[in-house]
Amino acid sequence: MAATQLARSNRDWRQRDVRVLVAALIVAVATVATIALYASHLERTLVTSASAFLAGDRQLERENGQPVPQAWRDEAERQGLATARMVEFSTMVFGGGNFQLVSVKAVSDSYPLRGQVEFQADTDAPRQMLSHGPGPGDVWLNPRLLRLLGLEIGGTVEVGNRDLKVTGLLIREPDAGFSMSALAPRIMMHADDVPATGVIQPGSRVEYVNLFAGADDALERFHAWLEPKLGPSDEWKSIQDGQALSDSLTKARRFLLLGGSLAVLLASVAVAVASRQYAMGQRDTVALLKTLGVPGRRISRLYRVRLLVWGMTGTLLGILLALPVFWGLASLTAGMLDRKMDYSVDVLSLWPALVTALVALFAFAYPPIQRLRRVPAMRVLRSQPGEAGRGVWMDVVIAVIAVFGLLWLYAGELWMVLALLGGLAALLGILALAGWLLVLGLRRVVGSGNAWRLALVGLYRHRRASLSQIAVFAMTLMLAATLILVRSSLLDDWQAQLPADAPNHFLINIGPEAVDEVRDFLGKHDLSTDELYPMVRGRLTEINGKPVREAVSKDREVRALNRELNLTWMQDLPSDNQIVKGNWFQPGQTEGLSIESELAQRLGVTLGDRLTFTIGSQTITEPVTSIRTVQWDSMKPNFYMVFPPGGALDGLPATWITSFYLGSSRKGILNDFTRRFPTISVLEIDHIIDRIREIVQQVTQAIEAILAMILAAAIVVMAAVVSATLQDRQREGALLRTLGGRQRLLVNSTMLEFALLGLFAGILGVLAGEVAVWALQYRMFEGAFHWHWRVVLLLPLVSAAVLAVFGRWQLNPVLRVSPMLLLRRLE
Amino acid sequence: MATGSDILKVTDLTHEVALGSGTLRILHNVNLSIGAGESVAIVGRSGSGKTTLLGLLAGLDTPTHGRIELDGQPISQMSEDERASLRARRVGFVFQSFQLLPALTALENVMLPLELAGQTDASDQATELLRRVGLGERLQHTPRQLSGGEQQRVAIARAFAAHPKILFADEPTGNLDNNTGQAVSDLLMALNREQGTTLVMVTHDEHLAARCGRQLHIEAGEVSENGVVPAQGVAV
Ligand SMILES: Nc1ncnc2c1ncn2[C@@H]1O[C@H](COP(=O)(O)OP(=O)(O)O)[C@@H](O)[C@H]1O
Ligand SMILES: [Mg+2]
Repeated sequence: MAATQLARSNRDWRQRDVRVLVAALIVAVATVATIALYASHLERTLVTSASAFLAGDRQLERENGQPVPQAWRDEAERQGLATARMVEFSTMVFGGGNFQLVSVKAVSDSYPLRGQVEFQADTDAPRQMLSHGPGPGDVWLNPRLLRLLGLEIGGTVEVGNRDLKVTGLLIREPDAGFSMSALAPRIMMHADDVPATGVIQPGSRVEYVNLFAGADDALERFHAWLEPKLGPSDEWKSIQDGQALSDSLTKARRFLLLGGSLAVLLASVAVAVASRQYAMGQRDTVALLKTLGVPGRRISRLYRVRLLVWGMTGTLLGILLALPVFWGLASLTAGMLDRKMDYSVDVLSLWPALVTALVALFAFAYPPIQRLRRVPAMRVLRSQPGEAGRGVWMDVVIAVIAVFGLLWLYAGELWMVLALLGGLAALLGILALAGWLLVLGLRRVVGSGNAWRLALVGLYRHRRASLSQIAVFAMTLMLAATLILVRSSLLDDWQAQLPADAPNHFLINIGPEAVDEVRDFLGKHDLSTDELYPMVRGRLTEINGKPVREAVSKDREVRALNRELNLTWMQDLPSDNQIVKGNWFQPGQTEGLSIESELAQRLGVTLGDRLTFTIGSQTITEPVTSIRTVQWDSMKPNFYMVFPPGGALDGLPATWITSFYLGSSRKGILNDFTRRFPTISVLEIDHIIDRIREIVQQVTQAIEAILAMILAAAIVVMAAVVSATLQDRQREGALLRTLGGRQRLLVNSTMLEFALLGLFAGILGVLAGEVAVWALQYRMFEGAFHWHWRVVLLLPLVSAAVLAVFGRWQLNPVLRVSPMLLLRRLE
Repeated sequence: MATGSDILKVTDLTHEVALGSGTLRILHNVNLSIGAGESVAIVGRSGSGKTTLLGLLAGLDTPTHGRIELDGQPISQMSEDERASLRARRVGFVFQSFQLLPALTALENVMLPLELAGQTDASDQATELLRRVGLGERLQHTPRQLSGGEQQRVAIARAFAAHPKILFADEPTGNLDNNTGQAVSDLLMALNREQGTTLVMVTHDEHLAARCGRQLHIEAGEVSENGVVPAQGVAV
């Protein structure tokens, strides 16, 4: 039929508006898909790399000295899980004529299930990454221990009744966990050799650990089976439980989600702008179709089909575009970490992109196009006043509901959605007010040959377009600002948490008599130490006179109750702790205690509650006088419970603990130290810190990449919006030139007009961004909020500059040719 | 007819445009002069070069050869910006397709040249002019809401807004029906008389042409007075 010919898709394609719409959709789908793919990829690498901290996906730790039953491992294997065994204990070993207290880790053949062991065949041999531990009869030593014992590779170490041959050096084990029991230098041997040593007697302090690895659902199933069988000394550990790292990972995951959500929002804005523009442009065609007798229903169907065609085209192209971008990003991080590149695509993670495309199409593109059928045929002859604005509010409401529903579905973080919604609401509120002021203020400006005035008049003239452009720019900038701000505070956070000289060694078990000497030693070697904290080990037994087991409801899993806590006393609040309730100890105060806030919450303890601790054979009871937050990821000694000096802990047997930074080139100092203070344990966590740094670096890279992508998408959106009024502005430029406007005037006034638009949008966007960041920061990233003056000042200027350049660029065709030719073109 | 008060003087004007295949000569060796206050009609078949000539006379484009003096200034030798400021002060336009800005109201369209000229009471002057052309009630309407005749009246108001010395009109009634065209041309002539403007008008309309003081015929790029091709090199 000839009438539908007018509305054929391929003809449409020649229209700019359609191309913009499809481009917006492509960008939308590509951004969301890339972020989703990348996030899932990152999650996989991070989890694998984090799982390495456990040497498996899960650990079962048993502290009561009884081996884990073989039947449990059999069940795990039946569920398709891989398993490995570990036994950890401390003992004296003999070698090279010396005795030395060591911490033994005996492992089965399949250890490690995740991660690798860093190994050196000899002191000057290259380091190797191995996927196994020592074989039966072999032992690997910590290099420092080799020197302490005065042994060579090939020498013999006696562990109890068993002679083991030193076949290499243990540089780093993947699961070099940070636990107080790992006090002495490490040796690693085979688990099958343990019985022969005869070291483990009933009642020995020994920890049996089983490792499991496999698919998530299998792990879940196995855990469900296992749970009822677990005793009080059994602990089921996943990577989420490792404080320092899991905090960083949670934040990183949230950031990725935030980035993805912003991409969804931006994409929706782009599609909305483009489709609205398209619908406006189609009104004449629709009116013509109606005069030709095509019924409204048919027209609707016509446009629906076309919407579907472009939707599929855009989605497909978007995904095709996302793949290489994703691979590029993935190879970037892989290259940085010397990891093998993982090209696999998680198809399931594409769903947000597909749903985004659908929602964008049907919540944003469809309503204005659907309304086309209402265009009166009379329009062919004369446009009807007021036609443009009808039904827009309904569209906006539908769109907002759709997008935030989508966000919620996607991110699953109500707070994030609310924060962004709050930011947007603030933005629209300010914008409505500012728009009203703008119209009021600019009405009085009268144009003159002056570029400033012409620019202001221009803003007023195009107030409707100007306001909607400002709204879109401001929204885009708000999203960009949110991401920039969250990113920098996240990175600052991490930077602060792991400065180059973050403490990477702990000294434990410092007797009271050695405290001053240790301080001297560290001072002499120029080792910046934090502070020496006294430590008393005790168990929390009662809350307000009731046994803890009863006081704390059963379903709350409180690990701190299963083991002894480290209690300390101090006068000054550590700088990274923060009092959230109550007051820190006054000088001279000896009463009371300060409890860490999360533990207090889990125990249901508040100010004034009386806690009773059992320390050896004594008990002490003190009221809670303050609740404080602790920076667990600070790599410094941190304590759940703090008492005042001279308080309840006074006179109880204490040892001291401290941490300091030691560069790898100065490791030799540790030998002097151990020789001089044989009873003090040195805990080397430099490898853990390196590991965390590595992960943080990877995440940082990801964050930067996503930020860059979002900014690119933002620029595309802005370009789409600017180009929506391109033709009008070019016509205006041509006419102004004909009427005698000088080129300079035209250039200046246009650039000024756009710069003002950009400045205004920038200010709005950055303010709304701050609102969103404030909310996000408060709930999701747990950082303190502060104004980001640099961004607040810079972003509006940058956006003004960018838009001015856009404005100048769109004038190009107007300036290059004679007015005569321009007029001919515009006829 | 070459007098001291010529407002427009064209000498040996030739205009060519580059086409893909070669060059197309649109105007060939045109000589003419127009006195201040005159009204001149340019007539000729479609495609004969009328619009091109008008554009050159108004300084919207530069000729390939020849010299054009507008109000004593050699516009053919001036820079684009110099010509622009001359246009802003001396020249008004009315186009066949109106050329109103669709985003602006009638009032704002008429205000444009006044603002360019730096007038502070642009709004008052424009309102007055729109009233003069009979659109006092339609100030806030956009071009799409006006009929063709009304649009052309807005365009005429705009053309006279800056009190030009010379007005160029390219088939001002070409897109209008007879009656409307008649009304529009009446208005144009009346305002022209009131303001003492020089009028150069391209038209198909013989009646309208006859109402002008003088007719120039253009055929195949050559201009003749009342159908007579003047002798080479003689200014008419
Ligand atoms: N820039 C140009 N490029 C190519 N051809 C042109 C150009 N300007 C004018 N012409 C051609 O020159 C001839 C005269 O055009 P025009 O002056 O518009 O005629 P008229 O106004 O008399 O109808 C036409 O054939 C037109 O197609
Ligand atoms: Mg013409």
